[in-house]
Amino acid sequence: MFRAGKLTVAVTALLALAGGFLGVSAAAANPSQAAVTGENYVIGTDTTFAPFEYREDGELTGIDMDLVRDIAANQGFTVEIKSLGFDAALQALQSNQVDGVIAGMSITDERELIFDFSDPYFDSGVQMAVAEDNTEITGYAGLAGETVVAKRGSEGETFANSIKDEYDFTVKALADSATMYDDVKAGNSVAVFDDYPVLAYGINQNNGLKSVTEKEQGSSYGFAVNKGQNPELLAAFNTGLAELKDNGDYQTILDTYLEQPAPAAASGFFGLLSDSMPALMKGLGLTLLATGLSILIALVLGVLFGFFTVSESRILRGIASVYVSIFRGTPLLVQAFFFYFGLPQLSGQSIDVLTAGVLTLSLNAGAYMTEIVRGGIQSVDPGQTEAGRSLGLGYVTTMRRVVLPQAVKIMTPSFINQFVMTLKDTSLLAVIGFAELTYQGQQIYAANFRTGETLLIVAALYFIVINLLTMLSNKLDKRFNK
Amino acid sequence: MSKISVTGLRKSFGYNEVLKGLDVEITEGEVVCVIGPSGSGKSTLLRCLNKLDELSAGTVIVDGFNLSDKTVDLNEVRQHIGMVFQHFNLFPHMTVLQNIMLAPTELKKESKADARATALKLLDRVGLSDKADARPAQLSGGQKQRVAIARSLAVNPDIMLFDEATSALDPEMVGEVLQVIRDLAAEGMTMIVVTHEMGFAREVADRVIFMADGLIVEEGTPAELFGNPQHERTQDFLSKVL
Ligand SMILES: Nc1ncnc2c1ncn2[C@@H]1O[C@H](COP(=O)(O)OP(=O)(O)OP(=O)(O)O)[C@@H](O)[C@H]1O
Ligand SMILES: [Mg+2]
Repeated sequence: MFRAGKLTVAVTALLALAGGFLGVSAAAANPSQAAVTGENYVIGTDTTFAPFEYREDGELTGIDMDLVRDIAANQGFTVEIKSLGFDAALQALQSNQVDGVIAGMSITDERELIFDFSDPYFDSGVQMAVAEDNTEITGYAGLAGETVVAKRGSEGETFANSIKDEYDFTVKALADSATMYDDVKAGNSVAVFDDYPVLAYGINQNNGLKSVTEKEQGSSYGFAVNKGQNPELLAAFNTGLAELKDNGDYQTILDTYLEQPAPAAASGFFGLLSDSMPALMKGLGLTLLATGLSILIALVLGVLFGFFTVSESRILRGIASVYVSIFRGTPLLVQAFFFYFGLPQLSGQSIDVLTAGVLTLSLNAGAYMTEIVRGGIQSVDPGQTEAGRSLGLGYVTTMRRVVLPQAVKIMTPSFINQFVMTLKDTSLLAVIGFAELTYQGQQIYAANFRTGETLLIVAALYFIVINLLTMLSNKLDKRFNK
Repeated sequence: MSKISVTGLRKSFGYNEVLKGLDVEITEGEVVCVIGPSGSGKSTLLRCLNKLDELSAGTVIVDGFNLSDKTVDLNEVRQHIGMVFQHFNLFPHMTVLQNIMLAPTELKKESKADARATALKLLDRVGLSDKADARPAQLSGGQKQRVAIARSLAVNPDIMLFDEATSALDPEMVGEVLQVIRDLAAEGMTMIVVTHEMGFAREVADRVIFMADGLIVEEGTPAELFGNPQHERTQDFLSKVL
């Protein structure tokens, strides 16, 4: 793996050299550049992997971001960045939801089986850090009997696992850096294994850790496209990278992030509040949008399938009960993953994250709504239907004028409850990269490491909005269901 | 002229046969009271006459409509045969007036204004003109049952079925409801009245039917049935309730 890495570095150097000799006119004649000119590519990335990608004032920034944008500008194409999370970005690439992924990703043999990688653009390595006040652990030898954390599927995890038997410790995998650092600070794990640039950046940002080992020589980071897809994009990336290295832009980018000056003193709670508000408000807007759309569709589904459950047709009752048991019998998270990653792979049709999210929530809430509607209709005294029918009114008229007005009154509190549940469930969509309120909060504390305060603000926003909406709903209920 | 003709009527719920072959003939203007012990199938018989329950076997012909005929419009038949329930079954989300006007307006039998006028007339007839805008929850049991009768009459039926219309009432309210039924009898309405009020049956009925175990055991004029019952079951039942 290391040898391969050196080889590619050599190739890169050669290319850079060639670029330098051939100059701009040669680059302009490059067929890969002609193929990408004017194109727009969707690039997936991690949510937060500072200093490679993170948010500052709501804007995605970092080494990867600067690099991919500068290369795009250099090569005459445009990029649309999707901040999905590392695992999610790789799955999105496999299902062709995105054209390429740049996420501080090490080039490994396994990954090379399913992706095509660019020339390496960064040489990384794993480093270990412990809590700032930990004086006992000064190297791997101090880890005996302890638990360490590493990022799931990362180089750090591979390295930790490779030495865990020798030093007798346990490795726990978590999904993102901020969570890992908090885990160490909270004392749940004694040390973290993470990529050195990330760790160095975090420590520099006063994340409460300190590094205690030298960087292990690691593999290199590459930009990836799906196997056999977008060869012109890959070629353009390589050409652009060589040119940036040549013109010094590449080094400037690295210096910007890795030679970070001492950070400014942390602002107080109200500083955090006002800084984070714009991003959180954007997230809240998406939360409400997804909730509103989902509840409306769920209402239609619930009424439709609810009528199926009380119908005389065995087939319709069967359809409704299959629908309800599927969506009540599987976790919402699995449903979200299925609609966003699984379905596109099965159908070959890509799907955007809002659509996938609303699909998940509305089908899920629709199943609960079906049960609410069924319960509501069945709780109306059968004597009411008999009275209606004995007067000569048809089934539909009896439902509409006699049963439903009473059922709706019974159902309303459950509807309001489901509405609140669905609003809260939108937070689960953060895992597929839907930029709602929780996701925005994660972005913020991943960059500033102020997890507790940020989560308090996020929770308070949910609390306020949910209680306002509940009050409003109850008022409407009282008004119309006297 | 025959208003209701029942032949060989059987009704089972699962394996439980509740009606075991009934024959009943009811002519226009006749008032028939049905008596019998609990569980004998009285309610089930009434519910088969307007097909709230499906028939298992036999034929029922109401006002010339054969209920077993799939082409017969049940909603139309039901407008010929009103039903009053033990527990009133008024629509709680509507006012008294709306309860009465619902069927005539939904069935497009009358314009809203006409339906309203009819409803007010019916309320007057059952003595509840002042309750037009009340909700069912604000009425006493006897008042509720009188509204239910007015509601049935609003679609202008020519047969009325009463299923223990006074059983759920406090004793002091029984009289007001029986009076309304009595008035209907006097106007010549064809009626089948399931009742435990033997005095009422004796006074109003043209004919009394005694049922037990899903069969008609004995029938006759009130004088015959109450004065000189032929069957042991009938004698036994009457000795307990009289
Ligand atoms: N929907 C139903 N499903 C199953 N069995 C039923 C149903 N309705 C009635 N039955 C049964 O049919 C039998 C006759 O019931 P029905 O209500 O006709 O009796 P009844 O003569 O009206 O009695 P009561 O004087 O108590 O009202 C009873 O044994 C009852 O349990
Ligand atoms: Mg009964």
